[in-house]
Amino acid sequence: MIKVISTGLYTTFQDLGRFKYRNLGVPLSGAMDQYSARLANRLVGNKPNATLLEITLVGPVLKFDVATQIAITGAGFSPTLNNVEIPLNTKVNVLENNILKFGLSAFGVRAYISIPGGFIAEEVMGSTSQYSGITKNKTLGKEDIFFIKSDIEKSITTASVKVSKSKFNDCEITVFKGPDFYLLPKEFQDKISHIELVVNSQSNRMAYMLESLENVSATEIITAPVQPGTVQLTPSGQCIVLMRDAQTTGGYARILQLTDQAMDLLSQKRSGEKIKFLLK
Amino acid sequence: MKLQYTIEAFGEHAIIINWEKKIDEVLHNEVLKMNYVVTERFKDEIIETVPTYHSLAIYLKNDIETIDFIKKLEREDINKGSKISTKKYVFTIPVCYTNKYGLDIKEVAYKNKISVKELIELHTKPLYKIYFLGFLPGFPYLGGLDSKIHTPRKILPRKIIEKGSVAIGGSQTGIYTVNSPGGWNIIGKTPLDFFTVNKPPYSLFQAGDYIKFKAVTIKEFNRILLAIKKREYKITKEVYND
Repeated sequence: MIKVISTGLYTTFQDLGRFKYRNLGVPLSGAMDQYSARLANRLVGNKPNATLLEITLVGPVLKFDVATQIAITGAGFSPTLNNVEIPLNTKVNVLENNILKFGLSAFGVRAYISIPGGFIAEEVMGSTSQYSGITKNKTLGKEDIFFIKSDIEKSITTASVKVSKSKFNDCEITVFKGPDFYLLPKEFQDKISHIELVVNSQSNRMAYMLESLENVSATEIITAPVQPGTVQLTPSGQCIVLMRDAQTTGGYARILQLTDQAMDLLSQKRSGEKIKFLLK
Repeated sequence: MKLQYTIEAFGEHAIIINWEKKIDEVLHNEVLKMNYVVTERFKDEIIETVPTYHSLAIYLKNDIETIDFIKKLEREDINKGSKISTKKYVFTIPVCYTNKYGLDIKEVAYKNKISVKELIELHTKPLYKIYFLGFLPGFPYLGGLDSKIHTPRKILPRKIIEKGSVAIGGSQTGIYTVNSPGGWNIIGKTPLDFFTVNKPPYSLFQAGDYIKFKAVTIKEFNRILLAIKKREYKITKEVYND
C-alpha cells in the first residue's frame, strides 16, 4: 500500500496513451516524456506500457507501507527516501514505512516513478492515463491510498542507466513541415530555424505556448486532424505546440510537426526557457 | 465521380490524405469511404484514423515505415471494388429551447433580427450531417446550419458549459457532450447522454450519422430526464436512406 501524504503540483497516473478512440474525440494522453517513462519501466523490469506516476515541477510525498522497489527517471528533483538522497535512473530498494520526497528540480520539469508490476490505477478505454472526463480523477488526490501488486518477485540484480544531460539541455526542437506549412509567409518559411522562442508559463499537458519577438500569424483553416507535436499558429500570432492531452482536431494552421524525440525534449522545458525549431 | 486527393506524411508515424479544402457532403462521403476502406485493408499497420471535413489522418503503428506506407497507398487503387456497407442513422434529439436552458437564445434571435420562435423553427428544420467527432469526447461537428442564424462566438467564453447544451458558434451548431469551457452561444439543452466511458461504442454518434432537433417543453424535458434515469427512455433512431 502507498499513502499520498501530499500530492505535489500535478501528479498523474500515465501509461503510453489511450489509443484507438481519437475518432471519437478522445485525446491520446500518456506520459509526456516517453523516453523517461519507458526507461523507468525498463529499470524495474516492466513492460513499456505499465502504469507509472508522472510528477510535474513539485513532487508528491508518498509513504510506502510495504517494501518494494522503485526507479525514478526524468527531471532532477533530488528524490529522497527517509531523507537520504537516492540516485536517478536506478532501481532502488524501498523498505517498509519509507517516505519518498522530492526537492526542487535542478533540471527538467517532469519525472517518472515506476514500481515492479506497475501501479494499480483505474483503467478506462484501454488506458490508465488520467484525463478529466474520461477517468474519475484527473490527478492524484491528497490522502489517496493505492495498492501495489505484492506478488511481484523483486529481482536482486541492480539496474542503472546513465542518461545524457542533453535530453534536458538541448534547445533544438526537431520538426517536419506540417500540413499547413505553406500558410507561413514565405520569409518565415526560410528562416523558421533562426527564430528564438520562449516557453510561456501557460504551458501544460495539453499544449505548450511559445512566444517570439517576430510578428507572424496565419489564417484559420477548416477544422482538420491534429496530434501531439502539432505546432499551430493562430491569426493573432500565438504559437502553440500541442502536447499529449490535446484535442484530436483543430482549426488553427498546422505549420510544423515535432519528432517523437523533440516531444520528449520539449516536455522537459519550463517557462522562460528558450528553444529553436530545427526543420528536417 | 472520382475526386482528387493528395497523400503526405504527417510527422514520424502518421500520414494525412487531403481533398479539396471545402465543406461538402459529396466530398466528405469520399473521406468516409476512404476511411472505411483503409481501416479494413490495412488493419495490421494502422492504430487508428481520424476523418474530418476534407482530410483523413492515419496513425500508423511504430514499426511501420511512413514512406513505404505512402507508396503502398499511391500504388493501389484504394477504392477499387469496395463498397461501404455500414449503416447510417438519423437521431431525433429533443431540445428544450426555453430561457432556462437557452441562456443566449434571446440574444441570438435579436442579433439575427428574428423572433425566438423563428429561430427555433430554423434550427429544428434541417437534417444535420455529423461530419466527424472532435473537440470533446463524442462532440459532433454538424453541417447544415441555416445561414440566417449563423452567430459569432461570444467574446468572453464561459468557464463551464453544461453537458447537453445545444449551441451555435459561427456557421456551426453542436451539442456539448461533456461539461466544458466554451464560447458558443447556448440556445437550448437536451436531456440525452451522448458519451459514456463505461461501454463500447462509447459514443452515441458516429461520423456519417445524421441529427434532427425537435423542440420540447420543460415538462417533456423533465419527463425524458426521468425516463433516462429509470432506463426506460429509447432514443428515436432510424436508418438513413440516401
